[in-house]
Amino acid sequence: MPDATKSATRPNMERATELTLPNLATITEIRDLATNIKLIQVQLDDLDVRKKFTYTPGQFVEISVFGVGESPFGLASSSDRGSKIDFAVSRVGTVTDALFRLDVGDQIGMRGPLGNGFPMEEFKGKNILVLGGGIGGAPLRPIIQTIFDNREDYGTVTILWAARSPDLLVFTEEYDEWCAQPDVEMYLTVDNAPEGWEHEEGLITALIEKINPSPKNTITVTCGPPIMIKFTMMTLEKLGFQPKQNWVTLEAKMKCGIGKCGRCNLGEVYICTDGPVFCFENVQGFLESFV
Amino acid sequence: MKVLTQKKLNAWLANLLQTTVVAAPVEAQGKLVYRKIDEVSQIVLDFERTDMSPKTWLFPMTEPILFIEQGVETKLKEPPKPEPIVLFGVRPCDARSLLAFDALFLDKAPEDPQYARHRESTTLVGLSCPQMWESCFCTAVGGAPNSTDGLDILLTQIEEGYAVEVLTEKGKKISANLVFEEKKTSLPDPKLIQGLPSLSKTDEWMALFNDLYWEQLSNSCLSCRACSFVCPTCRCFDVRDELTAIKPGLKKFERLRAWDTCTASGYRRIAGGHNPRDSQKKRLRNRFFCKFMFYPDDFGPLGCVGCGRCIDVCPAGIDILEVIANVEKMTEREKVGG
Amino acid sequence: MTSMDVQIRKTAKKYLDEGKVSCVIGYERDSRGRVRPAFIEKPEDADHLIWSSECSLNLVTYLHQRKLSPGKDQPVPKTAVVVRPCDVRAVNLLFAEEQIKRENIKLIGLTCAGTEINGQQRINCKFCQERVPVIYDVLIESDQPIEIPTDKDIYADLEEMESWTAEERLAFWTKEFDRCIRCYACRQACPGCYCFECVAEQVDPHWTSIALDKPEKMFFHVMRAYHLAGRCVGCDACEAACPMDIPLSKLNRKIAKEILDMFDYRTGDTPEDAPLLTCFNPDERLRT
Repeated sequence: MPDATKSATRPNMERATELTLPNLATITEIRDLATNIKLIQVQLDDLDVRKKFTYTPGQFVEISVFGVGESPFGLASSSDRGSKIDFAVSRVGTVTDALFRLDVGDQIGMRGPLGNGFPMEEFKGKNILVLGGGIGGAPLRPIIQTIFDNREDYGTVTILWAARSPDLLVFTEEYDEWCAQPDVEMYLTVDNAPEGWEHEEGLITALIEKINPSPKNTITVTCGPPIMIKFTMMTLEKLGFQPKQNWVTLEAKMKCGIGKCGRCNLGEVYICTDGPVFCFENVQGFLESFV
Repeated sequence: MKVLTQKKLNAWLANLLQTTVVAAPVEAQGKLVYRKIDEVSQIVLDFERTDMSPKTWLFPMTEPILFIEQGVETKLKEPPKPEPIVLFGVRPCDARSLLAFDALFLDKAPEDPQYARHRESTTLVGLSCPQMWESCFCTAVGGAPNSTDGLDILLTQIEEGYAVEVLTEKGKKISANLVFEEKKTSLPDPKLIQGLPSLSKTDEWMALFNDLYWEQLSNSCLSCRACSFVCPTCRCFDVRDELTAIKPGLKKFERLRAWDTCTASGYRRIAGGHNPRDSQKKRLRNRFFCKFMFYPDDFGPLGCVGCGRCIDVCPAGIDILEVIANVEKMTEREKVGG
Repeated sequence: MTSMDVQIRKTAKKYLDEGKVSCVIGYERDSRGRVRPAFIEKPEDADHLIWSSECSLNLVTYLHQRKLSPGKDQPVPKTAVVVRPCDVRAVNLLFAEEQIKRENIKLIGLTCAGTEINGQQRINCKFCQERVPVIYDVLIESDQPIEIPTDKDIYADLEEMESWTAEERLAFWTKEFDRCIRCYACRQACPGCYCFECVAEQVDPHWTSIALDKPEKMFFHVMRAYHLAGRCVGCDACEAACPMDIPLSKLNRKIAKEILDMFDYRTGDTPEDAPLLTCFNPDERLRT
């Protein structure tokens, strides 16, 4: 029988406000990433908070446009590279629309880092297959940056980037830099290829089959729309990948970001606290489908 | 056994009112709800079950969780600590809902700061039930009409007045000046409803997740919120920034949180339109699974205390006890081999 | 079991046996003896169907779940629904607003002496002058004689409210809506409320606060009453559904009375009626 007196003791307030009170941050750069997608870069105002704010690839933050609302965004840059923090914004709703109207120098609120991240330590010594669909490439970028900053710790890197059309591919200006790293291959595919398109045409699943990567000693990381994740996992299985080799990051409507409001729950799992990064082996066991 | 006469109880409450806020069941246009009282005579203690649960005092229907001022600078301020309050006349089932709230809002890190503030400031004085009423099923979910879980003091009505059990430090604090009479009698056992279904275990619920039963059950669900809003354990909430004042050069907002429910059709809809729970079946199924499987598996306590309010208010006649009974039947059928 | 029960069951069985519909929506009793909606898909389950004065929920609202094709190349499901005279006006409304097609619906019409909420006869029933549905595919009549009052003013109950000043009316409604918990049971139970995303819940534009216990919630009710002007059929499903027993029908009936006085129009008289306030009829004139 639970002890009725247990919760009557003074709760620990310090930990609470760390993740529930937004920190003020100022926008340092905004650039177009793709059609209707921008990359916003911010820096936390408070120097102490700025120093302590480190995170692993895969974690997210809740960004406030005060007076409009708050929305979750995957962190799109590695915290090892400095105190400037990137996140990608696709204009699909009220908050993202408000973010699109902001300028360099404007203030926003940031709560985080929230959620879990990719287990980069576990990935060491392995070949990494990075599969990004559309804006899904943004949360995968910190993985790529972390690997390149510690190149010897990881095996070969194969990046497959997909989008509906070329103008929706993200971080195009960084591809050359990525491919210049040793043992890196990159492939692009779009659903609708215009004239003069030099890369692949078709869905990412077709591209995966064409490349036919070896599952030996390989980890895959996938991020994109739910339907893309579903079919990508099926394709990888066909090519001999075990579910435990595949890692995904799932999307949900997250409000509190700390597992209280119930919004993001998928059966027993809370995407904001048990995820958003999951090993696909676990996702297969979910009662509720994430699609 | 410590005993207080009705007169002494009234005097005690009147005294408490001098120094602290007291919320108790009062009548509001024919409905019984927990409201702040100014006089002891407003309290209604002759009831089976209130229409709204006292959870509104620890987890208000609407409350600001942040105040924002946007002027030359942006200033953020947390809500002030709520004043101490004594929540009086709480039925044991409603008090047990605190176990569910505490497990998620306090014990699972990080704490919810607003709930923690309310919890610390609230002292609960319960009123045990002499019997189980129609629609009650507290015993089926681990409770009892005279349970002490979640309470700081429990009162039981007896011939001489009230038997008083002081259960916690908080309870001791507000009853420090009381002088009790000592009586040697023991408390009568409350009258229980017999033949209630027994709740299946969480893994038995899991096995039934894809059963056709949920489709049939959800046909009549209207996707309203009546069940969630009268429920003492439901805790899903929505958050929105809202403008409260606008002057030249200064805008004030509050970040409000308000009750929400997984039964609402747009609950899981993401910007962009994708909705993993797009059918009534998925939503209603989630409601029951959350209460009887997900919540206990994730946090410990069940998400239901057996108060029966949802049974009384559902406009479409969906009966949670019937669901438990059907799950029990289906589980037995599985055990026997289909 | 009454003769109406028998006939309803027979009709339902026949429709299902002949494959005319895939589902019959009616009323049944649960294990506690309370009346609730029934969705009969197999002929042998038709024996669950009953009819009594406790059947106060408007089943027409469930047609909204069955008005669209369930998937690619699949036909819209055909449904039979048990309807009281007030319910069938809602069906006419949905025809007029092109929400459902006549050929997809079978109407099992009932003559009705009135239904109750919590043992009390509903306001609309007290003043109802119909007792027989205006359209139906099958009419099931009560074996008890039903009196059709002809001399009552159908809005007589509003006289008191109409005698109040504006301040008194505001005070009354403020008091009534004080206990509203914004559960939207009224909206969900109403056959005329079928917007995919209600104005009260929209984020963008942010029409109203999400606050549940502030006076803003009255905005929801007033707005809903306005959105139902010329569309409310007086079935009182909203009041029956309300967990806080708020007299919602008073608000909607008042507006319906205004519409009747101004335009000589009662919603749902025929399937061919165009919706009053959304269709401009050059012949309509304000009654003075």
